[in-house]
Amino acid sequence: MSVKIALAGNPNCGKTTLFNALTGSNQFVGNWPGVTVEKKEGRLKGNKDVVIMDLPGIYSLSPYTLEEVVARNYLINERPDAIINIVDGTNIERNLYLSTQLIELGIPVLMAVNMMDIVEKSGDKINISKLSERLGCEVTTISALKGTGIMKAAERAVALANAKKAAPKVHKFAVKVENVLTAVEDKLGSDIPEEQKRFFAVKLLEKDDKIGEQMKKVPDVSAEIEMLEKEMDDDTESIITNERYVYISSIIGECYTKAGKETLTVSDKIDKIVTNRWLALPIFAVVMIIVYAVSVTTVGTWATDWANDGVFGDGWSLFGLEIPGIPVLVEGALEAIGCADWLMGLILDGIVAGVGAVLGFVPQMLVLFIFLAFLEACGYMARVAFIMDRIFRKFGLSGKSFIPMLIGSGCGVPGVMASRTIENDRDRKMTIMTTTFVPCGAKLPIIALIAGALFGGAWWVAPSAYFVGIAAIICSGIILKKTKMFAGDPAPFVMELPAYHMPTAGNVLRSMWERGWSFMKKAGTIILLSTIVLWFLMSFGWMDGSFGMLEAEELDYSILAALGGVFAPLFAPLGWGDWKMAVAAITGLIAKENVVGTIGILFGVAEVAEDGAEIWEQLAASMSAVAAYSFLVFNLLCAPCFAAMGAIKREMNNIKWFWFAIGYQTVLAYAVSLCVYQIGMLCSAGAFGIGTVVAFLLVIGFIYLLFRPYKESTTLKVDMKKAAMGIK
Amino acid sequence: MPLSMVREGEPNVIHKVGGKEETKRFLENLGFVTGGVVTVVSQIGGNLIVNVKEARVAIGRDMANKIMVG
Repeated sequence: MSVKIALAGNPNCGKTTLFNALTGSNQFVGNWPGVTVEKKEGRLKGNKDVVIMDLPGIYSLSPYTLEEVVARNYLINERPDAIINIVDGTNIERNLYLSTQLIELGIPVLMAVNMMDIVEKSGDKINISKLSERLGCEVTTISALKGTGIMKAAERAVALANAKKAAPKVHKFAVKVENVLTAVEDKLGSDIPEEQKRFFAVKLLEKDDKIGEQMKKVPDVSAEIEMLEKEMDDDTESIITNERYVYISSIIGECYTKAGKETLTVSDKIDKIVTNRWLALPIFAVVMIIVYAVSVTTVGTWATDWANDGVFGDGWSLFGLEIPGIPVLVEGALEAIGCADWLMGLILDGIVAGVGAVLGFVPQMLVLFIFLAFLEACGYMARVAFIMDRIFRKFGLSGKSFIPMLIGSGCGVPGVMASRTIENDRDRKMTIMTTTFVPCGAKLPIIALIAGALFGGAWWVAPSAYFVGIAAIICSGIILKKTKMFAGDPAPFVMELPAYHMPTAGNVLRSMWERGWSFMKKAGTIILLSTIVLWFLMSFGWMDGSFGMLEAEELDYSILAALGGVFAPLFAPLGWGDWKMAVAAITGLIAKENVVGTIGILFGVAEVAEDGAEIWEQLAASMSAVAAYSFLVFNLLCAPCFAAMGAIKREMNNIKWFWFAIGYQTVLAYAVSLCVYQIGMLCSAGAFGIGTVVAFLLVIGFIYLLFRPYKESTTLKVDMKKAAMGIK
Repeated sequence: MPLSMVREGEPNVIHKVGGKEETKRFLENLGFVTGGVVTVVSQIGGNLIVNVKEARVAIGRDMANKIMVG
C-alpha cells in the first residue's frame, strides 16, 4: 500500500535539499494546475511505495499568498498520511510558528530539525525530547545538506503514517481563547472530521475568508469573535498569533540553550559588506559582469559556436580527432538510403537546421543556469532583489527582474526562463513580457546591417538600439502596471533573506539540469513543428505555372513570398512596404539572425557575411534611412523568435497570457515603428499625411497611458476556486 | 517611533504593526509581533534589512514606517 508524505516548512529551511536527498532522481516536477507554483512529487529512494510531496515554502497556513493557499488546500483535501515538518535549527522560533499550525491539522507530524551541524558548531543546544514533549509530535534531527539522519527521518515518518495516529493536542491556548475555540468546534458540521476540528475552528475565529470554500456549511461565529475581541481588546487574528508566539517562547525557553552572548552571525557579517549602502552596487556590478562575461561572451560564445558550427554544423575536432556535425552525419545517412530530395530538404534544412539552431543555445544556457543556481542557492539572489528593488519598483518591476534582462542581452530564451526566480506573479508576468525587448545576440547582425547599409556605420546606431529596448521596458512597465490586468496584489517589499551558505554541487547541477531539460523538451515539440511549417512555406511555391519545390535562390516564388506580398501593405505605413522586407521580418521569427540571410537571398546574393556587407549598396538604394531605422525598431521589439516564444508560453503557463504578451510586443513594435517613420519623414522630408496624424495620435495616446493617474488596489486576489480545483 | 528611524544595531521592541490587513498579517507570520524584538542590520536607499526572531528580513521603507517600535 502506498503512503503519502508531505514535506512542509518555511522558505529556505532546506526543504528542497531534503526532498532531493530523499527521492534522488525519482522526481516529477510540474506546476500545481492553474497556478504557476511549482509542484514536486517523488518516490522515496529504496521504497517505491512512499510518495513524497514537496509543498511550497510557507510561513503560515493563512490565506495571504498563493503558496499558502496551495499548500493548505493540499493538506486539507488530499490528507497526506504524514507530514515531515522541516525546521531550520538556526532559526527555530520563527519556524515553530508554522509547526504549531501544522500540528492542528490532525495529520501525524514528524518534526525534522535541520541544519543541526551548524547549530552544534555554534555551540547551541536543542533539547529534542523536551521539544517533542512540549509540541506533542515526534522530533528528529537532520542535516539535509550533509545527508545525515535523513533516511531515519523518512523511516520514522513512514512508521507514523502507518500508525495513523495524529499528534495529540498538547498546545492549549489561554483559557478564554480555549473556551471560545471549544464552542466553535461544537458548532462545526459533521462533514469536518473530529481531528480537523481544531484547525477549522481556529480559522473561523481568525475570520479567514477562504476557509468557507473548504466547508459544506459555514457556522456563524460572529458572536464568539465579538465576545473574544471585546474581552481581549484586540482582533482575533492578532490574539491567535500572539498566543502562538507566547507558546513558542515558552518552549524555546525550556528547550533551547544559546551558547554565548549575542554575536553577529557569519551571514550578518557578509550582509554588512554586501548590502552596505556604498558597496552594494559596485559588488553587484562586479558579480553581474562576471556572470555576463563567462556565460554570454567567453565560455558561452565558445559553447554556442561549438554547438552551432560544430555539432549542428560542419563538424568539430576533439584532440585532433575530426567529429562530423549532425547535419553532415544525417546527410550522409540519408544519401546512403537513397532518400527523396524533398524529404532530405525537410529533414536537413527544416528540422535539423531549425531545431539545431535552437538546441545550439543549450550549452550556453547550461553555463548560465549553473551561475544562476549557485547565486540562488548561496543566498545572494535574494540580496540582488533587495538592492535593485527600489529602482525597478518605480516602473512596476521587481528587483529580481534585473537578472532575466541581463541574461536576455545574450539570449532571450534563458532570459525569459530566468524569470522563474521571481515569486510574485505580477512581477514575473511583467518581466516575461518585457525581457525580450533587450536586444539579444541574434539581433546584433540586424543592427550591424542597418547601421552599415544606411547610416555609414554610424557609432550611435547600436547604442540607440539598446536605448530603444530599455525605454520599451520602462515605458511598458509603467503602462502595464496601470492596467486592470496588473492591478491588485500591491506586493509591498517584504522578503526573508536566507542565511549565506555554500551550496552542494549536486543541488546546483540538479537545478541547472531541470531548467535545461525543460527547454530541450520544448525544442522537441512546439519549435520542431513551427520550423517544419516555415520550411514548407519557404521551400515550396509556384514557378513557371507549376507548384513544386524551389532552390534557395528562388525564394521569390515561395508561398512565403506570396504571404509576404499579402502582409507587405500592412508594413507600408512603417516605411518598408516592400514584400522582401516583410518576408525578412517573418523569417526572423525562426531566429533573428535569419533576417540578414533572408535579405541577402532576396537581393540575389546567396551567401552574405554576418553583417550583410555585400548588399549594403542595394539595400541603401531600396529604402530611406528613416524606413530602415523603423525596420530595425520593429525587429527589435516585435514578437521574438519561436524559441523565445516557446519559453514565454511555458513561463506564462497560460495560453491567454501568452497571446497577450506576444500581441502586446507586436502592437508596441508596430506603433513605435510607425511613429519613428512618420515623424522621421516629417522632420527629414516635410512629408505630411494621414500617417503623420496617426503617428501624433499614437504619441498622445502613449503619453496619456504613461501619465494617467491610477490607484493601486488594496486587495490581494488569490483565485481560490482555481487553486482548490488544481489540487483535486 | 517608526522602524525606519531606528539606528543600526540597536535592538528595539515592537509596539504596533500597522498597514494594510494582508501586509500586517504577513509581517506577523514572519515574526513581527507586538512585544517582539527587532534589530536593524543595514539599510540602503530607505529599504531595511532587519533581524527578527533570528531571521533576516528585508522590508521596504513604506512598510518600515508602519512598524512602531520603542
